[in-house]
Amino acid sequence: MEETIHDRLKSLAVFLAEYATSLLSSGVHTSRIVRNSKRIADSFGYQMHITLLQKSVIITVRTNDNEHSYSIVSGIKPMPISFELNSDLSALSWDAYDRHLDIDKLWEGYRKALSKPKLNFWIVWLLVSLANAAFCRLFGGDIAACIAVFAATAVGFGIRQILLKKHVNHYYIWFLSAFCAALCTSPMFFFGWGNTPHIAMGTSVLFLVPGVPLINGIIDIVEGHVLSGTARLINAMLLITCLSMGLLCALMITGGNVQ
Amino acid sequence: MNEIWNTLGEAACDGFFAAIAAIGFSIISNPPLRTLPYCALLAAVGHATRFLLTSSAGMDIASASFSGAFLIGWLSLPFASIVKSPTTTLYIPALLPMVPGMFAYKTILAMHQFMTHLNDNDAASFYMNDFLKNGVTAFTILFGLAVGASLPTLILRRYSFSMTRNKDKKRPATTETI
Repeated sequence: MEETIHDRLKSLAVFLAEYATSLLSSGVHTSRIVRNSKRIADSFGYQMHITLLQKSVIITVRTNDNEHSYSIVSGIKPMPISFELNSDLSALSWDAYDRHLDIDKLWEGYRKALSKPKLNFWIVWLLVSLANAAFCRLFGGDIAACIAVFAATAVGFGIRQILLKKHVNHYYIWFLSAFCAALCTSPMFFFGWGNTPHIAMGTSVLFLVPGVPLINGIIDIVEGHVLSGTARLINAMLLITCLSMGLLCALMITGGNVQ
Repeated sequence: MNEIWNTLGEAACDGFFAAIAAIGFSIISNPPLRTLPYCALLAAVGHATRFLLTSSAGMDIASASFSGAFLIGWLSLPFASIVKSPTTTLYIPALLPMVPGMFAYKTILAMHQFMTHLNDNDAASFYMNDFLKNGVTAFTILFGLAVGASLPTLILRRYSFSMTRNKDKKRPATTETI
């Protein structure tokens, strides 16, 4: 059977929906998603319009003369933030544009980018703990505080990873990890270790701050995608509220302070 | 003279710890490994700049963050073309150590204190003041960071949006529309 224009529009729209939702959930700012998707549609000689919301995307692909069009609404799948995916999928869009890849080649490239192995968990775990200890030093903590923060982050990040694997609600995870991390630094108050226990307790939860959505949210708002930018900021603010509540509970139980 | 060297030494120390922090915080977000050294360098430069501006030049923390981020934004352009990765994958990890996480959660803690001291007028206004101070600081720093770092990319639109392009297989210029 001859492939009609409708089939071609449809296959492209299905691919673009998959592509755009992956980019969105891997933490790319909105204008780049729009640009990349338009670039791919352009390589096929079609026009594309995309509306990005926090939970779904609406994509319309149409021919240049407006004769035919195909629309698709697609839900956004929860995926961890990945800069590597951002980089690889952006490169794929330029490849499509420069080399006129057909739809099968695009799917192949897309699946290849998605199936890249993740970093080893233990390395990530070690580096995050080290990072937070270095952060404690930046805020003026002494060596005892840095060691306490290292241990606290190791515990908190471990709990976060385990609960994320079990698909527990994010707000619970943020609350619990912050609570446990802050509790781990509380012996500093009880036994009088070091001179800066309040800095240790204050920095022990900072690895949970969702920095990437916060920055992406502002970038989105500045570039005119106010809705999705605000949604990102509000999501991030809720997570910060949860981690503050976790910290607050730890403070109340142990009688510590962060000032 | 000695004082200048001392300050520079402190700034270098500040940058070093910021670099470690940037690597660790960005590794959660699964970055391409080839970008990590550049992220660390950018973070060190940006954070040390902010440190120098606030401690020696007496600048406020939001303007200093903006300046540091602006520098990061410019430097991310040549680095991005070296590693063939979008500029955001370089400057967002570099900004992470400067994100005002502490101010953000102190805002929430102050709000809680305000609610517990609701009947004591003096204490309530003290904590309301605390709430506003931390909240405004957190927001202005964050805004300064994001705008500062993305400005250079926006100024050089055409150049900065094609970082991941494979330059050997470029399509002829006549058909370029985006």
